[in-house]
Amino acid sequence: MDQKQIRNFCIIAHIDHGKSTLADRLLEKTGVMAVRDMTAQVLDSMELERERGITIKSKAVRLPYTARDGKQYELNLIDTPGHVDFTYEVSRALAACEGAVLVVDATQGIEAQTLANVYMALEHDLEILPVINKIDLASAQPDVVKREIEDEIGLDTEGCPQVSAKVGIGIEDVLEAIVNTIPPPEGDPEAPLKALIFDSYYDNYRGAISSVRIVQGTVRVGDPILMMAGGCSFDVTELGAFQPGGYKPTECLKAGDVGYIAASIKDIADIRVGDTITHRELPADEPLPGYKKVLPMVYCGIYPADGGDYESLKGALEKLRLNDAALSFEPETSVALGYGFRSGFLGLLHMEITQQRLEREFDLDLVTTAPSVVYHVIKTDGSMVCIDNPTNLPPAQEIDWMEEPMVDAQVISPQEYVGAIMELCQDKRGTFRNMKYVEGGRVVLNYDLPLNEVIYDFFDQLKSRTRGYASFDYELKGYVKSELVKLDMLLNGENCDALSIIVHKDRAYARGRSIAEKLKEAIPRQLFEIPIQAAIGGKVIARETVKALRKDVLAKCYGGDISRKKKLLEKQKEGKKRMRQVGSVEVPSEAFMAVLKMD
Amino acid sequence: MAALYFHIPFCLKKCSYCDFVSFAGREAHIGAYRAALEAELAEAAGRYGRLPIETVYFGGGTPSLPEADLIVHLMAMCRALFFVNPEAEITVECNPGTLNLSKLRDYRACGVNRLSLGMQAAQEKLLRVLGRVHSPEQVRDGVELARQAGFTDISLDLMYALPGQGIADWVDSLKEALALAPTHLSLYSLILEPGTPLADRIERGELQVPEEELALSMQHAACRILGRRGYRRYEISNYALPGHSCRHNLCYWTRGDYLGLGLAAHSFMGGERFANTSDFDAYLSGTRRVSGGFVGPREALEEEIMLGTRLSEGIALERLKGREDRVRALAEAGLATVEAGRFALTQRGMDVQNAVVLKLLDP
Repeated sequence: MDQKQIRNFCIIAHIDHGKSTLADRLLEKTGVMAVRDMTAQVLDSMELERERGITIKSKAVRLPYTARDGKQYELNLIDTPGHVDFTYEVSRALAACEGAVLVVDATQGIEAQTLANVYMALEHDLEILPVINKIDLASAQPDVVKREIEDEIGLDTEGCPQVSAKVGIGIEDVLEAIVNTIPPPEGDPEAPLKALIFDSYYDNYRGAISSVRIVQGTVRVGDPILMMAGGCSFDVTELGAFQPGGYKPTECLKAGDVGYIAASIKDIADIRVGDTITHRELPADEPLPGYKKVLPMVYCGIYPADGGDYESLKGALEKLRLNDAALSFEPETSVALGYGFRSGFLGLLHMEITQQRLEREFDLDLVTTAPSVVYHVIKTDGSMVCIDNPTNLPPAQEIDWMEEPMVDAQVISPQEYVGAIMELCQDKRGTFRNMKYVEGGRVVLNYDLPLNEVIYDFFDQLKSRTRGYASFDYELKGYVKSELVKLDMLLNGENCDALSIIVHKDRAYARGRSIAEKLKEAIPRQLFEIPIQAAIGGKVIARETVKALRKDVLAKCYGGDISRKKKLLEKQKEGKKRMRQVGSVEVPSEAFMAVLKMD
Repeated sequence: MAALYFHIPFCLKKCSYCDFVSFAGREAHIGAYRAALEAELAEAAGRYGRLPIETVYFGGGTPSLPEADLIVHLMAMCRALFFVNPEAEITVECNPGTLNLSKLRDYRACGVNRLSLGMQAAQEKLLRVLGRVHSPEQVRDGVELARQAGFTDISLDLMYALPGQGIADWVDSLKEALALAPTHLSLYSLILEPGTPLADRIERGELQVPEEELALSMQHAACRILGRRGYRRYEISNYALPGHSCRHNLCYWTRGDYLGLGLAAHSFMGGERFANTSDFDAYLSGTRRVSGGFVGPREALEEEIMLGTRLSEGIALERLKGREDRVRALAEAGLATVEAGRFALTQRGMDVQNAVVLKLLDP
């Protein structure tokens, strides 16, 4: 296909504004998928994605379209993940496009998250095509929303499509607008190959597969290819375009094309998002700009709630890892929790989603420990160790000083919440950097924040303090020296390793008290009184007590029917399997998680 | 040696807390039910031969609701088919609102020597909350009639931790009961069974059950009050004057053989536990046992611990071999005593018997 007839675009929208539904309609209208074959929201195929209304992995699909001008077009829709943890993946997906369809709900107008995405798209020089959705609703105010888009983002909304993705109004207008406003790709098909990897995933038959945008050059089946940053080399076994639920193999991919490349790659880690694929014999001089090695930012321990499920958990993590190069894990043991895995994630959502997938797709009950960031510990002998598990912190006398990761955080919010956000950032040891008023009464706030505060309950707090109106984005900035201490939790005098956290010394007292209180709620009363203590280096800073059980007895076994009592006993015995023994104290699996909840 | 249990599932009215297999308004089927019971009794005699019977218990439902001839006939059949020990304990559970002198005389004449009366509370308001059909006066009258008919072994059931029950109500109920000079008392803490009208009312917030601490105070008050009058707590919920413990109930706790006859009746015979159908029509048309199985040695030990620790005499220490650490911890915490080769729960231990059993059963 001639480059002039190709359009590469993505869809930007706030959650619930109808991104996936619109994508479904585009698929349907272009005949890629018959209506009867569609489950709602084809692109968001993972159950979890459908449920949470977010896209976890980037995906691409090719839509053949005959426009009103009579010409055949090839529209490549690249679906982008919609969360701060995946900012880098989003940026690579945007880099693969020339344009973005901005979907705005005609009843809601622009929301903060939309703005952040629009700014990102503008940074990538994308042509933005506004689409007003949900015009079938009685409360729709398309003209008001159009004015909002013009005033707040400065986009021309003249003649922009007004649609209802749900009932299928105006879908063709969107296709026409894509053809007419989004520029075709450029790039010399004869130049040395440069293909941008914007996603990767695993296929049982083809091995690890790269989703690519060919920026220049041409790649054919059989070509020897080189990953410019990764350094690995492979031979292309198959390439082509995506269609929902499958692949459409072709002979070659040329400059401007979006598609996949399979090369019998066994380990998905060999494909790095953002890397450039080139021809091994005729390599490009330099890779495409913007490659970053993605490192886990957040770690936590993942344990099976029932110790017998260790092997199943291991198998499940291995399966997820096949498709998720950003996930890392290593075996670890905890005195309280037994055998499990230390797992690394891009961020909190990535962690949460991984945990949920393990639970849902593999039917596992998990116990997870408090998330931790990676600390730098500079020892008295001058050496440095990286610590992602508080249990592994060297003894205090061996530590010279410690460093913690800081992020460059950006919050976009309506003006009225500025006070609340500043207060929160202050609470979280943030350093104010900048504040900027933008269109529509919004404010962009920049703070330096310690990542360990961000992963605690920053999102939840931000959401509740701004009634969900603020959006939040962050980028790792670097490490700074910090006064950190290890906070231990003692149950009946026994240290419970799985509950230890590393925390700033000024926050230790409050955190210790809060965890002790939550543990008191989460640990059921037992035959003996249980003192709960929070301690730093053996010094107790907070204390709670779980009183001894007072009444727990069945009155009656009527007419010799002891079956009820036995059933109850069996149930309680079963429940005990989910308890962890910490010294003489039985701690329910949930208690380890309860300490993560916000106040 | 075995205990016999007959289930009589008829009631004038279903109590608000009751989720046992019993029915109001099915009195027309009493005849058919009696025929089914008699048939089952004959089948049992065919299977087990002439069992020596130590105790017979008519429970319900309301066994005192049908005419006396039901029990009279069943007792006659028992004596014809089994060896009923002349010293056997034979109990009929009675609702005080269903008694009259001739019925009681007929019971006495056929060998019934123990009555268990559902008094529940001495306060009209609490009886109404429970949906009981009797009045406090009927309890007094019922005991009086029973004595006239020649009964000396009378047990009274009382309930505590009831919605709207204060500690003073409870102490009054105990004193009223004691004034009737029973030989035995069963004190049951109210258990809210899901789906019962009472549980629904509490769920809806119309009624409140007493706090746990108040329920415990009631239990402890009962122990003191009854203890001073010579009643010994021989089981978690049961108190008796010396020599008047309920032998039938003890058979359950000590895992003796018992044969349950009738709708939804449970049995434990020769190491096997089984239960009859709880479907009334199915039972009438001949369905009997619907579930059951032999109890393995490990499960047997668990049962022994679970049931034996309900008794003040406890269980033989040797049965807890391999659990010495827990036995010691429980004794040190004041929840149990170890004396003369027996492990028994203290009052505090009995309050939390469930948790104690779970601790003992820990792998």
